[in-house]
Amino acid sequence: MGAPPAVTRKPDAVGLGVMTGLGVGMVALGAGWVSGPWAVLVAVAMLTVLVLLVWAGVGGGLEVRRAIAPYGLLKPGILWLSLFFLAPLWTMAVMSLSSKKSRFDFFPSFTWDWSNYSRALTDFAPQFGRSFLYAGIATVLTICIGYPLAYAVAFRGGRLRNVLMGLIVVPFFTSYLIRTLAWGNLLADAGPVVAALEAIRLDGPLNWLGIMDNGRLLNTPTAVIGGLTYNFLPFMVLPLYVSLEKIDPRLVDAAQDLYSSAAGAFRKVVLPLSLPGVFAGSLLVFIPAAGDFVNAQFLGNPGTTMIGNSIQDQFLRQLNYPLASAMSFVLMIIISVAVLLYSRYLDTEDLV
Amino acid sequence: MSAATSTRQRLGRRAVNTVAGLGLLYVFLPIIVIVVFSFNDPVGKFNIEWQGFTLKHWADPFAEPELTRALWVSLRIAAVATVCATVLGSLIAVSLSRYDFRGRNGVNLFLVIPLTAPEIVLGSSLATLFIDRGVDFGYTTVIIAHIGFQVSFVAVTVRARIRGFDWTLEHAAMDLGATPMRAFWSITFPLILPGIAAAALLSFALSIDDFIITFFNAGSLLTFPLQIFGASRVKIPPQINVLATMLLMVSVSLMALGAAFGARRRKRHGVVAG
Amino acid sequence: MPTPMNRREFLIRSGLMGVGAMSIPAILSACGASDTASDTTGGSPGRSLYFENWPAYIDEETVKLFMAATGIEMKYTEAYNDNNEYFAKVQPLLAKGDKADPDLIAPTFWMASRYVKLGWAQKLPLDKIPNAANLRPDLKNPAWDPNGEFSLPWQTGIAGIAYNTKITGREIKGMADLFAPEFKGKIGMLTEMRDTMGLILMGEGKNIETISTFDEAAVGFEKLEKAKSDGQIRSFTGNDYMDDLNAGNFAACVAWSGDVVQLSRDNPDIKFVIPEEGGTSWYDTMIWLTGSENSDAVAQWINWCYDPVNAARITAFVAYMSPVAGVKDELVKLGGDAAAIAESPLLFPDEATLSRLQTWGPLSEDEEAKFDEAFAKITGA
Repeated sequence: MGAPPAVTRKPDAVGLGVMTGLGVGMVALGAGWVSGPWAVLVAVAMLTVLVLLVWAGVGGGLEVRRAIAPYGLLKPGILWLSLFFLAPLWTMAVMSLSSKKSRFDFFPSFTWDWSNYSRALTDFAPQFGRSFLYAGIATVLTICIGYPLAYAVAFRGGRLRNVLMGLIVVPFFTSYLIRTLAWGNLLADAGPVVAALEAIRLDGPLNWLGIMDNGRLLNTPTAVIGGLTYNFLPFMVLPLYVSLEKIDPRLVDAAQDLYSSAAGAFRKVVLPLSLPGVFAGSLLVFIPAAGDFVNAQFLGNPGTTMIGNSIQDQFLRQLNYPLASAMSFVLMIIISVAVLLYSRYLDTEDLV
Repeated sequence: MSAATSTRQRLGRRAVNTVAGLGLLYVFLPIIVIVVFSFNDPVGKFNIEWQGFTLKHWADPFAEPELTRALWVSLRIAAVATVCATVLGSLIAVSLSRYDFRGRNGVNLFLVIPLTAPEIVLGSSLATLFIDRGVDFGYTTVIIAHIGFQVSFVAVTVRARIRGFDWTLEHAAMDLGATPMRAFWSITFPLILPGIAAAALLSFALSIDDFIITFFNAGSLLTFPLQIFGASRVKIPPQINVLATMLLMVSVSLMALGAAFGARRRKRHGVVAG
Repeated sequence: MPTPMNRREFLIRSGLMGVGAMSIPAILSACGASDTASDTTGGSPGRSLYFENWPAYIDEETVKLFMAATGIEMKYTEAYNDNNEYFAKVQPLLAKGDKADPDLIAPTFWMASRYVKLGWAQKLPLDKIPNAANLRPDLKNPAWDPNGEFSLPWQTGIAGIAYNTKITGREIKGMADLFAPEFKGKIGMLTEMRDTMGLILMGEGKNIETISTFDEAAVGFEKLEKAKSDGQIRSFTGNDYMDDLNAGNFAACVAWSGDVVQLSRDNPDIKFVIPEEGGTSWYDTMIWLTGSENSDAVAQWINWCYDPVNAARITAFVAYMSPVAGVKDELVKLGGDAAAIAESPLLFPDEATLSRLQTWGPLSEDEEAKFDEAFAKITGA
């Protein structure tokens, strides 16, 4: 963060106001708050404001320009996001309260139809439950697998750190779907993993624990959770590595000089300092995992479907846009609340 | 006592290394399957069982015209979307890290929200917008969808990369008589370029591999992942494994190149931008 | 100090970018239309054709031979994976009155009837398709297309049970075997509701030709729901059941005849059986989508496919029942593998077999919705 240039307060407020105003205008045009002549009016008004702004910048002094410049740089991206992120959310909210006049009514009309929400929450409660359960378990597992990996690279990697980190990330540059399908081959009934488990007689205990189902791995909850864990592992390892790498190894030495055991040094020094990485990683794993439908589709059975499968099915097969929108909205709200609660513990700038 | 501690430490160290080694194996397990089966010579329609070694799929990786077409579609989309998103995202990042201004925290939050929304929500909401507005699905909608998630990604990544950047360098240049434009292009830009390039590369990879958002917004257009999804319901031709392995090799070499390039830069300039 | 450079910089940074962003909605609505145009095949109108069909549903020669014989530029793709999914893909275009990319598609009969009902299919140029006379008599004038003007079948087939003898270790006879506890977690069902439910209902002694309300079929849905919650069913699949069957993940599953004939050529452990309680018979049928202007090419293509010589070549590859009369004789003439296929009871069933097959009757819009909803709930999606 460079030294903030001296700014006069007034243009600052103008810049922010104009950007917000244009953003709202963009949403209005995109989401259809205004239509016909009104849309033209809004567009003309937005253009006029922009022209005025440019004119002010050209005619005004350096101070004015300095004050508006940051907003000028932000504007294209922010307006894009307003149009293609905020406006769709609005349309989706409207859609979730709409109803279809008949089965093949493809343009549902807005009717304050709350039944979509009650259906989403009752009929699809098991799918919501499974999504958060599976995503939660997968998050914990990525911590268990990712932490030793990141730790080993950060503290034992030496000069090979970057190479090792590259090695860990590289597999995830193959297509997501192909990776998941490959797990399908690995976990198949006649596949290598089941054979290996049988060879070392682990299939009995695993069956007993419910991890294997009747000697099978593919098309069980284990396979779905395993797939989620694998596919989202790098989102855990990367932030963990970033936070572990920052830790000065001399801190650990210092702790041990003060007669702390290795485990004690880890618990009192390394772990607390790496917690931001754990938090960020958890979010980055949990969120996409909760909305995923690929793993449940390729590796699951009819009893392991997640909410993503249901949304996809309602949207792209049953053509029930209102119901699908309601489900998406509920999913987003639950996750947003969770993220908000969670982010009280971490600064948003530490994400990614 | 000290001997015991060091034995225990050595044991602990070995345990960590073993676990990490196993982790690495786990990470590569499906990749091995993919690469190995690109050399399989399936007798029938299915590329599941190992039947025999052959190089024929590698000799003719583009034997499946629909697959090849889909790969080109994906590359085209990724190229266009990445260019747009990199420009938009980098401008945001520069603005956020160079200036302190009112609403900065708001913008930060606004950028993070798309990243924290599940893909299925982004994809289905955008599709709802397109349906509602009567926009036909195809190239345009997919590119728009990709730029949408890439902008935030590029902005956040670039911002993280240039967080420690010393903006006074630019002022120094201007003090020495450079115009602000010149100062930016000849001092600032070359220094933040590696960060931007890295973000662009990653978002290119994200675009090529995106399935969920694309699934909702492609209509009848088939990108590489969508083609794989279609094939997964019938038969997976070995060419899929070949092309996937090739994509993997390209990304590895790009990464290696980037690493080498970065190392050389650091040596030459003695300035760390990232 | 303000300089001209400075001014330009500012203009570029905030002005142009902002104006650029402003025009996005315009671009957005303008681009949509041009998208599809670039995707269709070139050539003068009437001399080009785009047929989107199910995967692995044609041999490698037919399209090439057709193009060489007629000079028509033909695009043939295999992206039709699922009736409902495909409908969802083209529906936004057709509902608006726009043109979808393909001229021809081959939905399953019940889905084809939906396109016709919605007015999204054109009457076929039958006057230019003399070979339409070769249509098998039992397929003429279905209830949903009483004059046979909108559709001509592509292939017809049987849904029954496929099994992997290596896993079952015994012969499979009827629907009861699919619900046998010994195969718990090793049974596959199709996402195609009419085939899965058809077999189950026939297993329960129902006649699916006369079922017209959901209540009459409820018993079948209960049976399926119970099997699912017991963990009997491993997964609901589309065409990919063949992977699972071949790999041994499925002991047995609901399957389509032609697929299994194709598969058993590579893997002799795979067998197909029409359950003792009976199987369903279905057909995928070509319809001409509204908005397409390539009437000549459509006519020539269908006429080509309804020539028994060409139909026989397709049958020899796909191993489904041809809707074209006279194919059997042509297959015998081809000799070799093709002649062997001519003897297959699955392709040319005798009267006794035919009498064990049933086809779903039409369902009203509301009743169909109930079926689909109940089925979607069980498949868990």
